[in-house]
Amino acid sequence: MVNPSLLIAVPLAFAFSIPLFGLVSKKIGKYIPVVALLINVGISFILIPQILKKPAVVSIGGWSPPFCINLVVGPLGVFLVTLISSIGLLVAIYAISYIKEEPTEKYHMLFLLLITGATGIVLTGDIFNLFVFFEILCISSYALVAYNKDKEGTEAAMKYLIQGSVGSSFVLIGIALLYGMFGTLNMADIASRVTSADPTFLFISLAFLITGFGIEAAVFPLNAWLPDAHSSAPSSISAILSGIAIKTGVYGVARMIYTIFNADGILTFIAFLGLLTLLIGEMSAFRQNDIKRLLAYSSIGQIGLIVFALGIATSLGVFAGLFQIVSHALAKALLFLAAGYMIYRVGSKSIDSLSGLGRKMPLTSFAFTIGSFSLIGLPPFAGFISKFSIVYAAIQVKKPIFLVFVVIALIATVIEAGYFFKVVQNLYFKEGKNVDNVTETSGYIIVPMIILVISIIVIGIHPQFITGLLKGAAGELLGRTGYIGWVLGGS
Amino acid sequence: MRRIVSIIILIIIAVGFIFAFSKIPFGKDKINVANYYIKKGIKQTGAVNIVTSVVLNYRGFDTLGEVTVLFIAAVGLGAVLFVERKIQKNMDDKEDKTKRASLILRTGSRLLFPLILLFGAYIFVHGHLTPGGGFQGGAIIASGFLLMYLAFPKQRINKKTSGLAESLSGLIFVGIGLLGLVFSGYFLTNFLPKGIPNTLFSAGIIPIIYIAIGFKVGFELTGIIDDLLERSR
Repeated sequence: MVNPSLLIAVPLAFAFSIPLFGLVSKKIGKYIPVVALLINVGISFILIPQILKKPAVVSIGGWSPPFCINLVVGPLGVFLVTLISSIGLLVAIYAISYIKEEPTEKYHMLFLLLITGATGIVLTGDIFNLFVFFEILCISSYALVAYNKDKEGTEAAMKYLIQGSVGSSFVLIGIALLYGMFGTLNMADIASRVTSADPTFLFISLAFLITGFGIEAAVFPLNAWLPDAHSSAPSSISAILSGIAIKTGVYGVARMIYTIFNADGILTFIAFLGLLTLLIGEMSAFRQNDIKRLLAYSSIGQIGLIVFALGIATSLGVFAGLFQIVSHALAKALLFLAAGYMIYRVGSKSIDSLSGLGRKMPLTSFAFTIGSFSLIGLPPFAGFISKFSIVYAAIQVKKPIFLVFVVIALIATVIEAGYFFKVVQNLYFKEGKNVDNVTETSGYIIVPMIILVISIIVIGIHPQFITGLLKGAAGELLGRTGYIGWVLGGS
Repeated sequence: MRRIVSIIILIIIAVGFIFAFSKIPFGKDKINVANYYIKKGIKQTGAVNIVTSVVLNYRGFDTLGEVTVLFIAAVGLGAVLFVERKIQKNMDDKEDKTKRASLILRTGSRLLFPLILLFGAYIFVHGHLTPGGGFQGGAIIASGFLLMYLAFPKQRINKKTSGLAESLSGLIFVGIGLLGLVFSGYFLTNFLPKGIPNTLFSAGIIPIIYIAIGFKVGFELTGIIDDLLERSR
């Protein structure tokens, strides 16, 4: 079996070596993330069938857990790693010709390290190691948000930096409390001991951890940083932040609640928070005139929907939430990549200036349309299946409160459809003003968009390609005794 | 209004904090993992400094992560503070307003600089024997460079060489980890002979990693100082 620690070691080694490749030729740097992530995608696809048969616990350093750091590669881990490396790979291909502003070498290093951080977060089985990778992810995204070096980007990065650091400190305090109580940092080991501790103590440490991860996940009311950061970063980075980075925050919250603390009591509250986030995100998105801000607010809404689905806490609900993670990652990455190049060609972020691009940039506009239709949840795209499963799962709970929730979620979807149709209508049915010289994209820019469009349609028509993996992943989240058993053996 | 709300939130956090800490039974011998390190650390890793055995062997992966965090901070700062070469040349043409450092500072730092470097190197080479290690040694080396920057503001380190040293030492760390994977099937295993405890050549891969970290941290912190200085001119 391929050792899963390579998933972290390979991109790390490539990221460190970019300056050395720079000695040979300045042009090699931009291809390095593509190579590294291609290897990662390969490894994760090899791992999927093996992990579905038998989850792997990989020790780092050769000692047995809990005395060393270990990776826990279960269905959830391998699913998220596959998603992270695939989206990362596509965005890396896009960035080959999209990123022109110097110092590109540093951009590619930071980008690769961001992906490494996300990979580490979803694979590690050690709570402090989780924090370290979380920091890798966050700090590289602070720097990348400010990469354009304009006033807007710097301000957004500063906001993100301050709120993100508060979040990280909260996570660290939570970890410190747990370590003080249980004397171990291994997540499975902590999970096996939580029943022995005082419930109020557990609630306080859980509150610290959820608040910390909640800031990265941008759950209301912790989402103030997101619209600025996602809209003023370079578009390739917006795609990664919206597609991948906020999902790792959600993963952190889910891992804490389900696996470590087994906190069933707060799940309805979490579902409610998710719903609130959904409603607020979609309503704010509706009022935006700036296309990237619109997409950023829509990400907040979608995260709300994912959190809501995870809060349903039936196996169907968690399954639907994970499906929504896939369909949102694909659609939002596609939307940001398409919008990024339209903005590059038109020179303005306002929605009005994109009028008439449907004829000038047919492929890019088509990609944008597919992405937005999938996000709204129209058949036959991936978003339809995930949204439908969420609604179905919520109705199946058979609690009156969840019926109210479903109605609110559907209203939010209508709002979402409203603003996306507005943009699409702008693209196709309005006369453009200054778009005469605009031409279609080519080469490295169009390839990832086409791949994303195809995967959205294929997953929409044949969801069985991923349902097996997603069911396993949902089972991992809901079956904490299984998780503890993998790591500590026995029982 | 805003102030009152934030004070209330702070009070809630503080109360939660105090309550949570009051529940932790401090000082009781309940920490399995730590006891394991204390009892078996020297035998299993060959490092007499138990902190080092934990940092670089049992939890070496965290250290790799921390090194990466520092690397990101340095690279990110470089990216954000990056100025186009053209502007910089204009700046050089202008009259440099920085004052010349005093004679005492210049002479003193010339004398101290090699000693500081030597001390830093001593700290990271002996990381497995005495308190300290790669991070501390690297920070000491960077402080030596900071002293030189204060004394001779116009002189610069060679950014290219320091960048290469940074990547190379990072690669050595990951490479040693991968060699462990090759030789014994686990990433970052201590695959070299442990040697006799308390001697310089003991503890297998630990001193090698610490030397790499020492160089990496030293150059990274120096690079950060250099970036900040370049921008402030």
